[in-house]
Amino acid sequence: METFKEFFSFSDPSIVSVVVGAILLTASSAVVGTFTFLKKKALVGDAVAHSVLPGICLAFILSGTKNPIWMILGAFLTGWISLVIIDHITTKSKIKEDTAIALILSVFFGIGILMLTNIQHSGNPAQTGLDSFLFGKAAALVGQDLIVFGIVAVILIITVALFFKELKLIAFDSNYAKALGLPVKALDLLLTSLTVLAVVTGIQAVGVVLMAAMLITPAAAARIWTNDVFKMTLIAAILGGISGLSGAYVSYVAPAMPTGPWIVIIISVIAIVSFFIAPKRGIFARSIQQRKLQRLIMDENLLKELYHLGEKDEDPYKGRTVDEIIEERFFPKKKLKIALMRLKRQGFLEKKQGYWSYTEAGKIKGQRVVKLHRLWELYLSKYMKIAPDHVHEDAETVEHIITPELEARLEKMLEYPEFDPHEEKIPY
Amino acid sequence: MKIDAKNPVVEFHDLTVSYHKKPVLWNIDMTLPQGALIGIIGPNGAGKSTLIKAAMGLLPLASGYVRMFNESLDEVRHKVSYVPQRETVDWDFPTSVIDVVMMGRYSKLGLLTRPRKADKEMAMNCLRKVGMEAYTDRQISQLSGGQQQRVFLARALAQEADLYFMDEPFAGVDAATEAAILAIMQEMTASGKTVIVVHHDLQSAAEFFDWIVLLNMRLVASGPIEKVFTNKMLQETYGGKLTVLAEVGELVRKRQMPSREKY
Repeated sequence: METFKEFFSFSDPSIVSVVVGAILLTASSAVVGTFTFLKKKALVGDAVAHSVLPGICLAFILSGTKNPIWMILGAFLTGWISLVIIDHITTKSKIKEDTAIALILSVFFGIGILMLTNIQHSGNPAQTGLDSFLFGKAAALVGQDLIVFGIVAVILIITVALFFKELKLIAFDSNYAKALGLPVKALDLLLTSLTVLAVVTGIQAVGVVLMAAMLITPAAAARIWTNDVFKMTLIAAILGGISGLSGAYVSYVAPAMPTGPWIVIIISVIAIVSFFIAPKRGIFARSIQQRKLQRLIMDENLLKELYHLGEKDEDPYKGRTVDEIIEERFFPKKKLKIALMRLKRQGFLEKKQGYWSYTEAGKIKGQRVVKLHRLWELYLSKYMKIAPDHVHEDAETVEHIITPELEARLEKMLEYPEFDPHEEKIPY
Repeated sequence: MKIDAKNPVVEFHDLTVSYHKKPVLWNIDMTLPQGALIGIIGPNGAGKSTLIKAAMGLLPLASGYVRMFNESLDEVRHKVSYVPQRETVDWDFPTSVIDVVMMGRYSKLGLLTRPRKADKEMAMNCLRKVGMEAYTDRQISQLSGGQQQRVFLARALAQEADLYFMDEPFAGVDAATEAAILAIMQEMTASGKTVIVVHHDLQSAAEFFDWIVLLNMRLVASGPIEKVFTNKMLQETYGGKLTVLAEVGELVRKRQMPSREKY
C-alpha cells in the first residue's frame, strides 16, 4: 500500500517520466493497432513484432551501444523486410498468407534469439539490459530512450490523426478508395510503416514477444464499446494507456519483473471484462435481452391461453385456476406462477381466491396475440399456399414479433377476414 | 454484332484481362454512348464485374486500354464514379450511414482536409435522393440488403460524377428498392449522365436498359437494346459454353504464358 501511495503521488520525477513514457507508448500502439485490427491484419502485427528482434541485435553489434536511435533504425529495417517477404511469398507463390506469416515470424525470431545469445556471451559490458527487449522493462524508460521513443509515439498519433479519414476508407473499402483516385498503395505503405514503428516504440515497455497484443487487444476491446471508428480509436488509446500505467507501476514495485507480461495481462483482463459488460454487444447485455424476449413470449402465450379458455365458455373474464391453465396448454408450474405474478404486477391479470382472471388491458393484449396468430395462419395458407395443418408452428413464433404496422397491413391485405384456416374466429 | 456509339463516352480498345495469368476477358473492343442506361449482361463467370473493374483501373490489363471522355481514367477521375458489389465490404465495420456516404466526397476533399459543412449537406441530399434520410446515423450493420445498396448508390451520387460504373446494384434488393434505384438511374441519364450497370437478370434487363452489352469472356454484342437484345444474340451469349476459349485460357495459365508476347 505504501508503494502504491508513493507511486501514484508522482512525487519522484523519474516516476513521472516512466509513467508518461509508458502511457504514450501503449496508447500510440493502440491507436495504430485500431487500423491494423480493422484491416484484419492482426497476425501481420505479430510477425512484425517478432521480426524486429534481429534488427535490434544487429544495431547493437554494429554500433556497440544501446542508443535508441540505432535500435529503432535496426528494428524498422528487419520489421520492414519481414513484411516485404511475406507480401512477396503471398502474391508470387501458392503459399497462403497465414502460412507465410508463420514461416517468416519464426525464422526472424529464431535468428534474433541466436544473435541475442551470441551478444550475451560476447562479454561486451554494454549489452546488459538488452534482453529486456524480449519481455519489456518500463522502468528503463528514462533519459534519452524516453525522449526518442516518446517523440516517435507522438509522431504516430499525429500521423493517424492527419490521415484519419483515408485510413478509415482503405480499411472499409479499399477498392472504392482506389476508384476515387486516392493513393491507396502509398496509404497502405503508410499504415504498414506506422505498424512497424508502433511495434518498435512499444518494445521497450512491452517487449517483442508480446507486442502484438498491445496492437490488437485494445482495439478488440474498444470495438465492443462503440460502433464508430473515431470513438473506437479513442477508447483503444485510453485502454492501452491504462495498461501502460499499470505496467509502469509493476516495474516500479518489482524491478526484477518484466513489465510486458503484466501489461498484456492487464489489457487482456480489460478486454475480457469488456466482452461481458459492454452495452449492446456485451455478453451480459445480450443474455439480458434474450431473457427479456423469453419473458415476453411466456407472458403473451399465457394471455393467449386465457383467451382460448374464455372462448370455450364464452366468458373471457372468468377466473381460472393454475391447473386449468396447464390443462389447456402445458407450462412448467413454477414458471407459470412466476409469469402470473408478473402479469398481475403489470396490471394485466387479477387474482381472487386462487382464481386468475383478465383485467381489461389483459384481455385486449391476449386477444391481440390470438388475432395475430390466426391472421398469420391465414396469410400463410392463402398467400404462401402452405397446407393449413402446417401453419400453426410458424404462427407460434411470428405472433410475438409482428409490429402494429405489419398488423395493419395484414388486416388490410386479407380484408379483415372472419375466420382462420381452422375455421376459428379471428377476434378484432 | 458490334454497333459503335455516335457520341462515345467510354471506349474499350482491344482489352484483355487475366487473373493469375489466365485470361478471363478476351479482346473487348467497343464504344458506349453518352447519356444512356447501359446494361452489361452475361452468364456467371462471363467477366462482367471484371470488365468494369478493369475499366476503373482496379485490375491490371494484359493488353489494350480504356478511355473515358477521350482521356485516360486518371485525367478524368473526378467525372467517374464506381459502385462496388455490396458483398465486397464488411458491413460490420464500425461506421454510420452518413459516414459511408461522406466517403464519396473524399476525392473532392483531398488528403489531410476534413469534410466541410457543405460536404455533409451534399451527403444528406444524396441520402434523401435514395430515400434513406431516416437512417442517417444508423450503424451500417443494421441495414437490410436493399438499404445497403441504396447507401452505396448515395455514396456514388455524392461524387457528382458524369459516368457511373455499378456492379450488380440490383442484386438481392427488394422490389421497392429496385424501382427506386431504377428511377434514380433514369433521372441521371435524362440529365446526360451515363450509367453502366452489371446485371444478371435477363427479364428485367429488357425493361431497364437503352443499350446492352452482351458478354461471355468475349464481346458477343454491343448496341441499342432493340437491335442487340434478340433471341439469336442471347443464345450466342448463354447457349453453348465457350469450351474452346475456356480451355485455351486454362492452358495459358498452366504454361504461365504471358498473354501478350513482349519483345
